[in-house]
Amino acid sequence: MRLRVRHGATSLITRLVGTSLLLLLLVQLAGFFVVRSSIEANARREVTRELDVAQNVWARTLAQNAEKLRDGATLLAADYGFRSALNSGDQDTVESVLDNHGARIGATVTAFLGTDFRVRTASMAEGSAAPAADQLAELTAQLSRKPQASVLAVIQGVPHQFVMVPMKAPLTIGWVLMGFPLTQALAEEMRLLLSVNLVLLTGPVGQQQLAVSTLGKGVPADLLAQLQHDEFSLDGGLVLVRHVPMDSLGGPVETVLLRSAEEVVAPYRHLQWLLAGITLGGVLLFALGSGLAARRITLPLRDLVAATLRLAQGRYEQPMQHLQRRDEIGNLARAFDHMRVDIARQQAEVRRLAYWDRLTGLPNREQFRSTLEAAIRAGRADGRPVAVITLDLDRFKHVNDVLGYAFGDRLLQAVAERLQRLVTQEGEQVARRGGNEFALLLPGHDAAQALAFTQRVARTFEEPLAFDDQTVDLSAGMGVACWPQHADEADLLLSRAEIAMYAAKRRLSGALLYDPAFDSASTQTLSLLTELRRAVERDELRLYLQPKVHLRTGRVVAAEALVRWQHPQRGLLPPIEFIPFAEQTGFVRQLTLWIFEAAVRWLAGPRPAPADLRVSINLSTRDLLDPDLSNRLGRLLQAQGLAAGQFCLEITESAIMDDPLRAEATLNRLSAQGFKLSIDDFGTGYSSLAYLKRLPVDELKIDKSFVLGMENDEDDAKIVRSTIDLAHNLGLSVVAEGVENQDLLVRLAQLDCDEAQGYHLSRPLPAPAFADWLEARRLATAAVS
Amino acid sequence: MKIAAACLFALVFASAAMASGVHVQLQDDAGHPVSDAVVFLESPEAARLVKPLVGAQVAQEHKQFVPQVSVVTRGTEVSFPNHDKVRHQVYSFSPAKKFELKLYAGTPANPVLFDQTGVVVLGCNIHDSMVGWVLVVDTPYFGSSRAGEVRLDNVPPGTYHLRTWHAGLPVGAPALDQALVVPAEGVAQAAVRLSGLTP
Repeated sequence: MRLRVRHGATSLITRLVGTSLLLLLLVQLAGFFVVRSSIEANARREVTRELDVAQNVWARTLAQNAEKLRDGATLLAADYGFRSALNSGDQDTVESVLDNHGARIGATVTAFLGTDFRVRTASMAEGSAAPAADQLAELTAQLSRKPQASVLAVIQGVPHQFVMVPMKAPLTIGWVLMGFPLTQALAEEMRLLLSVNLVLLTGPVGQQQLAVSTLGKGVPADLLAQLQHDEFSLDGGLVLVRHVPMDSLGGPVETVLLRSAEEVVAPYRHLQWLLAGITLGGVLLFALGSGLAARRITLPLRDLVAATLRLAQGRYEQPMQHLQRRDEIGNLARAFDHMRVDIARQQAEVRRLAYWDRLTGLPNREQFRSTLEAAIRAGRADGRPVAVITLDLDRFKHVNDVLGYAFGDRLLQAVAERLQRLVTQEGEQVARRGGNEFALLLPGHDAAQALAFTQRVARTFEEPLAFDDQTVDLSAGMGVACWPQHADEADLLLSRAEIAMYAAKRRLSGALLYDPAFDSASTQTLSLLTELRRAVERDELRLYLQPKVHLRTGRVVAAEALVRWQHPQRGLLPPIEFIPFAEQTGFVRQLTLWIFEAAVRWLAGPRPAPADLRVSINLSTRDLLDPDLSNRLGRLLQAQGLAAGQFCLEITESAIMDDPLRAEATLNRLSAQGFKLSIDDFGTGYSSLAYLKRLPVDELKIDKSFVLGMENDEDDAKIVRSTIDLAHNLGLSVVAEGVENQDLLVRLAQLDCDEAQGYHLSRPLPAPAFADWLEARRLATAAVS
Repeated sequence: MKIAAACLFALVFASAAMASGVHVQLQDDAGHPVSDAVVFLESPEAARLVKPLVGAQVAQEHKQFVPQVSVVTRGTEVSFPNHDKVRHQVYSFSPAKKFELKLYAGTPANPVLFDQTGVVVLGCNIHDSMVGWVLVVDTPYFGSSRAGEVRLDNVPPGTYHLRTWHAGLPVGAPALDQALVVPAEGVAQAAVRLSGLTP
């Protein structure tokens, strides 16, 4: 992740900077090539223009030179000495003066002509080429037509400029002709003036000779051949050539002007290099600048990414960087920071909701569980025990129903407060596990200490709670389980404490330490439900019957239908091993139906019981809550053609009190259907007589704890007696269960109890055995009477 | 070399017995009368009668020769008085008389002797614009034209070369020459056409 993030940031910079640089370079390259070709074209134009200029300047230079020569010649012709020498008439004198004065102004050919332009005397400078007579005649003929002009003539391969001036004394008495060779100096002047090399070629094409050249003395032959072209390459540079043919006598003369384009291009070249330098510098600066700019974006982005990774790991405490920036990055950072704060707050809220109970402010089930786990871990380390107490408030549902949920909530808060007060030691914790259940964690407590703690809890509950003129007695069932004694991990420990708690509630004994006996099948509970279903399918359940005897007549008038499970591996199982579980899971409804159906079949079976034998069936809370119960039972009765009046449905007080309204409705329906109804375990619950009176009940069944207590406890005897009286006064019959000896039987008869049930009379018997037992008893009774 | 030939038409009339003179009419190519042309009559008899002129001079005034054209007989000495404030250096390269008067003011001590016939072109070495002519003739009969006419009197009868010269003729060109017979009496009429004159 980190690596990928870094890679992404790098490529963003590269992409940003690289793309811009590439575009910049493309633009610069395009510019470079355009400039380059433009420079070339420009240079050609420029050089061509310069050659034009040079050509004009050359022509003008020649003309000026001629002018200068003419001026010199004119001055010379006006020289008195020259004039008088020429007019001396002496041929030698005339020749020498022409020689002498011609040399003064650099003329190599000097001639004196008469007014008729005939050459009188001609003189050549020493070493100079002498023009042929006919050449002179041609020259003078040309000049006489245009005396102000100059004529170019090749004298033995050397181009000369000829001028002619009048000799005046004071009228024109003759002409002086002077010829001047075209000199290297003139060409050099051109080169210096215009940077143009100049070559003068004489002779016909193909046999041209070099007369004057600024290219240096040793002009190679191949260069001479190159001069024929309009352009050529010299030392890698381009040279443009201009050929200027000139009017001349005595053979053709051609001026060749050479201009190196390199000299023109050189400043541009320099400019180009400068431009390249600027481009390079610009690219570097740009790269640097955009790199920095990109870093200013990507580095903060990297920081923000790192910050979001921190958030992902749940670390919210560190604020974002770059919050002060005023740009988009700053906005992003501020948005992230806002998000960080919000998430942290929400996280805290979620945590609170997840681990704390809102109503009481106590830790909830989850937190308790993890604290317990931590405590067990600590216990493993230091060997100290851990005790857990689970606590379930009695009759809380009733309080809620009668006094309202707001009252219930206040009650829970008050209980939480009282429990909290008890918890003072480090590591101890009270939690609300939901509904009216609480739990206490007591690290370092063994079983005895934990039980002692339950006593403190019970004492705390002794003081009734009073809100708004309502006073409520507090009581609770508590279960205690200890690590490592009862379980080696948190969940099991909790569930065992719970089992102990339920046991305590069942026994109304306040607090109980977990005993595996409460939970002998606990190890099989997970598979129990499946097994139970299979038990029904495979017909592993057995119908047992326990007789009820009418005390006055001694007749067996009724039997309580009970169920046993013929387990293939574990043998015959008593109801306590699977009925509580069935009640928890709701499977008890199927069991009820199974018992009912078995009872119906038995009654309708081949070995019929006495016609008036009434069979009692136990209904659980869940049965009462099933609105379809009466229909189901009705259908089963109908199948065998039996009347509902042969059945008595036994309901415990607590079952009714779980949901009195619905229970009442169900009971009314069942009663209307013809079933007899009996209140089971009467005396252990809290049902009011006023309420019972409203129910369509036919019978009360006194709990066996009172019946058993009658022998030693006079109070119990009073309760039994008054219950019997009360029932009779309400028009109900009374059944006493738990009759285990003859004395009890006798006393109950004395108390006018209607029916008795118990081991003294008979244990619950399998249905087939019950018939035999009935028969045996009938025979015995008959024998007695 | 080509020289424009003058067309000469000599009309000779037998004049009245009393007459002893010559009348010459001068025209240019366009037929206009020509002034300042010098006309002189040559003959061996006339040459014998020649005497040098006395007191002939060519002055320099306002950087010009005055008179611009002088006619003198052979053997005449001509003085060159300088009336200008600047100095002059008068010279001639003409074959008839080559001379040079070194830079001077006032009148030079020695006059110049013109002892050959011909046209002498005068110049000043200091002032190229100054031009003057001295025509040296070998006859006492000469004159200059005015309004295209010249009249020479007291010319003995005989046969002459009628010579005509003008400064506008090409440099070095000889004077026109045409025959003229002067009768014993009366005036000999002659007409001269001068062609190729430079103005």
